[in-house]
Amino acid sequence: MELKEELKGKIIDALNLEDIVVTDLEDDAPLFGEDGLGLDSIDALELIVLLEKNYGIKISDPKEGKNIFKSVNVMADYVEKNRKK
Amino acid sequence: MNMKKAVHKITITTTEVVVDGKPLDVTCLGSNIFTELYRKYVNDYPKYFKMDILCKLGFIATELLLQTEGKVRFEPCEDRAVVFFNRSSSLHADKSFESNICNRESFYPSPAMFVYTLPNIVTGEIAIRNKYYGETNFIVIEKRDEDVLENIIDGVFTDNMTTSVVTGWLEAESEEEFNAEIYIIEK
Amino acid sequence: MIRKIADNITSPLGFTTADNYKAVCEGKSCLKIYEGKWKLPEPFVASLFQDNQIGDIFASEIHTDNIYTRFEKMVLLSATKAIQDSGIDASSERTIFILSTTKGNVSLLERNVRGVDDDRVLLGVMANVISRHFNNTNIPIVVSNACISGVCAQIVANRCLESGKYDNAVVIGADEQSPFIVSGFQSFRALSPEECRPFSKNRNGLNLGEAAATIIYQHCDNFIDGWQAVKGAIRNDANHISGPSRTGEGSYRALKYVMTDEVASDDIACVNVHGTATAYNDEMESIAISRAGLSDTPINGYKGYYGHTMGAAGVLESILSMRALDDGLILATRGFDEIGVTHPVNISNKIRHTDKKTFIKLLSGFGGCNAAMLFSKR
Repeated sequence: MELKEELKGKIIDALNLEDIVVTDLEDDAPLFGEDGLGLDSIDALELIVLLEKNYGIKISDPKEGKNIFKSVNVMADYVEKNRKK
Repeated sequence: MNMKKAVHKITITTTEVVVDGKPLDVTCLGSNIFTELYRKYVNDYPKYFKMDILCKLGFIATELLLQTEGKVRFEPCEDRAVVFFNRSSSLHADKSFESNICNRESFYPSPAMFVYTLPNIVTGEIAIRNKYYGETNFIVIEKRDEDVLENIIDGVFTDNMTTSVVTGWLEAESEEEFNAEIYIIEK
Repeated sequence: MIRKIADNITSPLGFTTADNYKAVCEGKSCLKIYEGKWKLPEPFVASLFQDNQIGDIFASEIHTDNIYTRFEKMVLLSATKAIQDSGIDASSERTIFILSTTKGNVSLLERNVRGVDDDRVLLGVMANVISRHFNNTNIPIVVSNACISGVCAQIVANRCLESGKYDNAVVIGADEQSPFIVSGFQSFRALSPEECRPFSKNRNGLNLGEAAATIIYQHCDNFIDGWQAVKGAIRNDANHISGPSRTGEGSYRALKYVMTDEVASDDIACVNVHGTATAYNDEMESIAISRAGLSDTPINGYKGYYGHTMGAAGVLESILSMRALDDGLILATRGFDEIGVTHPVNISNKIRHTDKKTFIKLLSGFGGCNAAMLFSKR
């Protein structure tokens, strides 16, 4: 699905994941946590900015991020349902 | 600078890198030097790519210095301080963040950008990488003055747990204007 | 021996230490919600000077042809009063100026001030303007170590005086609020939409503030009486550049250092904490306090009166604590209601009494840095 590829590209860009390309990011792989990409709390906040800037989605409570950013699949799903742009 | 007790030294300018008097082979110019050095001598720390230029400069300079020192790496310690000096503070990152926020109609302030608008973050990055629990600090003066640096560094050693300091001048005004002269100084 | 010989707090609560102390004793604060200020889309809660207040008071109190920025005026208002009270010769080469600030004149990036060169955004250039105002020709030192700068500057000052190079150190901590700082903290989702509630169960973020505070330290051979900065320490968490350590590592180590061979927990009147009222900071401090054996020692915090004054905090909060202990008081933690940290701490929203004359100032900041300073009065 195009949205997932688009999201992967934006994630890599926003989080300065220099050594990762879109094809490295699996749809289902956890983004956070030890098995994930090693993202941290600032990355989570940047993803919130990413959602607002690109899709007009405002997340009021940063703690919601844990659930929304579980994987590219979960994120794409959330964006589909909530996007305003 | 109390040169007698400086056990290692590195200088990085836009055109050359010299460690303990020996120039390193570098092909890049400007801030591309940092990434060239990172790839060649570090290459195991993806967080590097999130850093701003002041942090990249300080991080790389310190990495090369510590590799030259040759001691066991990454063992937690509280006896090494990290204290840097410059004239421009985090001005390059400040200008980037100012551009990031200046359009109030399209307003998406970036936390990853904001965090680097403090000059001491580079000391934090080095402390995290090396598990240094000791003193970290950042001093800004109008222009480089060896007496001021010496005075402050002598003061750092009055903390009776501190036996060495990674210290020196760390300036990164832009991608094309930077210089670092970093030392490991022992008590 | 190094002792404090004068001080000043210049804040929205007043332009003298006495006025600030009175306001805090009365539970006052200037925290209020700002909507649309600086055209920022989101409202924020802060303690700010009134519009033009700094300009007006400066014009009436300090007579100069020089043009200064608003930030510099805040610094000069505070330093001038402290220097006058101290009676020192600020122009002497035996006097060193040490400033503590996170962003100084950063607002110049957004908007020039006519008659002020662009390079005044450089902290060292700004500091030189300040020290030259008092005809001091030494190179002034600026400590820019995030939110712990105010304690770090006092530590650097004490070291300068102990070295014998100087007799007096004028330590000025200051920061003004700006769209730059507010936006930054908004990006971190760190701000509370209401007045902050340090250490409380329902705390949800910090408030911002602006102030300038000055302490003048003097080296003397024989200790007469007064407040002494006994020992200070700066320690890093070595964990994360913006999040506090889950073990309170740096805070604990700083506390341990200043207490060792100096004082037992029983002798400490209180620990004045950083207490920003973010979920993570207050929890981390409670862990550090517990690890340091200070769970029963009274603690308090002032962010509920002033908001977080960044580079001014370490100086302002130290002065207020000294002033309170002069009267045998531990000031109330405004905004605290129901305890909301996992480790036990002895905190109150009421004024308490003590006859002890020793306290610790504790701070934490971005970059994983932490500072503690032990103060004692004879």
